Amino acid sequence: MVEDDTREEKRGGEEVPAVRIEHLVKDFAVPFRREKLRAVGGISLEMAAGEVYGLIGPNGSGKSTTMKVLLGLIAATSGRTAIFGVSSRRVSSRREVGYLPENPYFYKHVSGAETLRGYGRLCGVRGGALAERIGELLELVDLEDASDRRLGGYSKGMLQRIGLAQALIQDPRLVVLDEPTAGVDPAGSRKMRDLILEMKGRGISVILCSHLLEQVQEVCDRVGIIHRGKLVKEGALEELINIEEQTDIVLENAPAELLEEIRATVEGSAARLVRMGHPRTTLERLFLRETGGEEGEERRGG
Amino acid sequence: MGGSLGRIWVLAGATFTQLVRMKTFYFLLIFCALVALAGSLNIMAYNAEQQMKLVKDVSLGAMSLFASIFGIVATAMLIPRDMEDRTLYTILAKPVPRVEYLIGKLLGVLMVIGVSLAAMHLFFSGVLYARQEMLLADDMTMMADRVDLTEEDVQSYAERVREQGVTWNLVNATGAIFLKACVVTASAMVISTVATTSLFTIIVSVLVFFIGHVQALARTYWVDVEGGGVVAKLFSALVALVFPDYQLYNVIDGVVSGEWIPFGAMLKLVGLTAFYVGIYTVVAYLVFAEKEL
Repeated sequence: MVEDDTREEKRGGEEVPAVRIEHLVKDFAVPFRREKLRAVGGISLEMAAGEVYGLIGPNGSGKSTTMKVLLGLIAATSGRTAIFGVSSRRVSSRREVGYLPENPYFYKHVSGAETLRGYGRLCGVRGGALAERIGELLELVDLEDASDRRLGGYSKGMLQRIGLAQALIQDPRLVVLDEPTAGVDPAGSRKMRDLILEMKGRGISVILCSHLLEQVQEVCDRVGIIHRGKLVKEGALEELINIEEQTDIVLENAPAELLEEIRATVEGSAARLVRMGHPRTTLERLFLRETGGEEGEERRGG
Repeated sequence: MGGSLGRIWVLAGATFTQLVRMKTFYFLLIFCALVALAGSLNIMAYNAEQQMKLVKDVSLGAMSLFASIFGIVATAMLIPRDMEDRTLYTILAKPVPRVEYLIGKLLGVLMVIGVSLAAMHLFFSGVLYARQEMLLADDMTMMADRVDLTEEDVQSYAERVREQGVTWNLVNATGAIFLKACVVTASAMVISTVATTSLFTIIVSVLVFFIGHVQALARTYWVDVEGGGVVAKLFSALVALVFPDYQLYNVIDGVVSGEWIPFGAMLKLVGLTAFYVGIYTVVAYLVFAEKEL
């Protein structure tokens, strides 16, 4: 199982990418059928260290399978994957990775703090450093009050957050989040978004697999779109979503006369007025405002 | 403790904690009630030796049953459940080799069985000792009035009764029960790496458990019986090679009737257990290493 090329070296000062996937193909055997099901059909992508990368696509498009191969949970049919230059086939590639799977369930008979202690010790973190790290993470995911409560009594959102804390326990350089807000209410979803932004601020590389496009748009630097096992579009988010020939101007407290003047100026030019009116808030923001779950959202300009 | 052993210990500890908090030890209360009942029964038709044999029979039988059932059910519940709940993903996404995960789980289950058997052994020994002393005291009082018995007869009788009481032989019996549970648990682990559900693991493990009790017959047919059909020979060879021989661990009947288990026999059982557990762990790893999670 060990290849000669399991370790990439820095080439001429070039930074080793956080993730490198080359021509990845993954076929699954189908019971009682000779032909196999191709879940991933030749994906190649590279993600720089410190980036937040959004892997988006419909259900069954191959996102989770790609991540499982990357994490060494399943073997590739062909192609190569590496994390910080170490082949995914090596256990050592997972030293600096944190993973939060979709809808995770942890041992319900242990508390949040005990869960983190167990995962920390598996990663070789011990003693005072581990105790300090557990305290930091419980504060980060806002579960300090529930740290001694058994996970059987946690809500779905709390489980997602303790899942994120376990992913971060050894202070990894790469975090893989697979549908981190699946089944979580808008407040929990927003909290998760803030945590991803916080990780980004700390320089942690994040892969976010999701089909919630708004969330991906809010946090990701680069995006790859997977459809039927193939990467159909990939690039920097701004480049992908910018409409180059159009410009937004948002005014506050503009009098009707000024708006008329602008309209007249535009009509007298070569430009075409596409739309003019009141911008709308999103249903998510409205929900958060009405349920009081959005602290500081207005301050951030939402 | 760091590295591989440290991770195995963490996984074993987590498994132990999880099983304990699943109120596994409640079984001990049932066991205590059962042994206390057997120890308090005063069957007039039974003499002291027979009454103590009854306590040993009930206690060792319950311990053996508990250890084997627990080994199967706990293993079946842990590994397939980890897969179903995706807990396994979060563990194996850490730098944890799959073989360490398997050994950690196996060790955790065996720790619970070991602690439970030790607790049961202590309680049952206490009840047996109390019963032994009570019956002896009664019998000695009766014997004191009998003129036809010499002091030597009385002492010989007391010795015979004590041989049926608390002796090191009971430790050997509990040890044999534990060793058998190790093999049962390891075989259930192999099945759980192939299975996708707990129910399948339990059903197949119970079948393996029963086949293991007739493995000796299949071996005898394969090795000693001349002639016979090719299919029957192949089938018996398969059973003899794949399944463990649980009859070798059945020492309870002997211990109950007062037979002493020699030290050499115990050493052989330890060696046999190490062989079976080693083989099954390697097979479980080979299956699990290639398993698509």
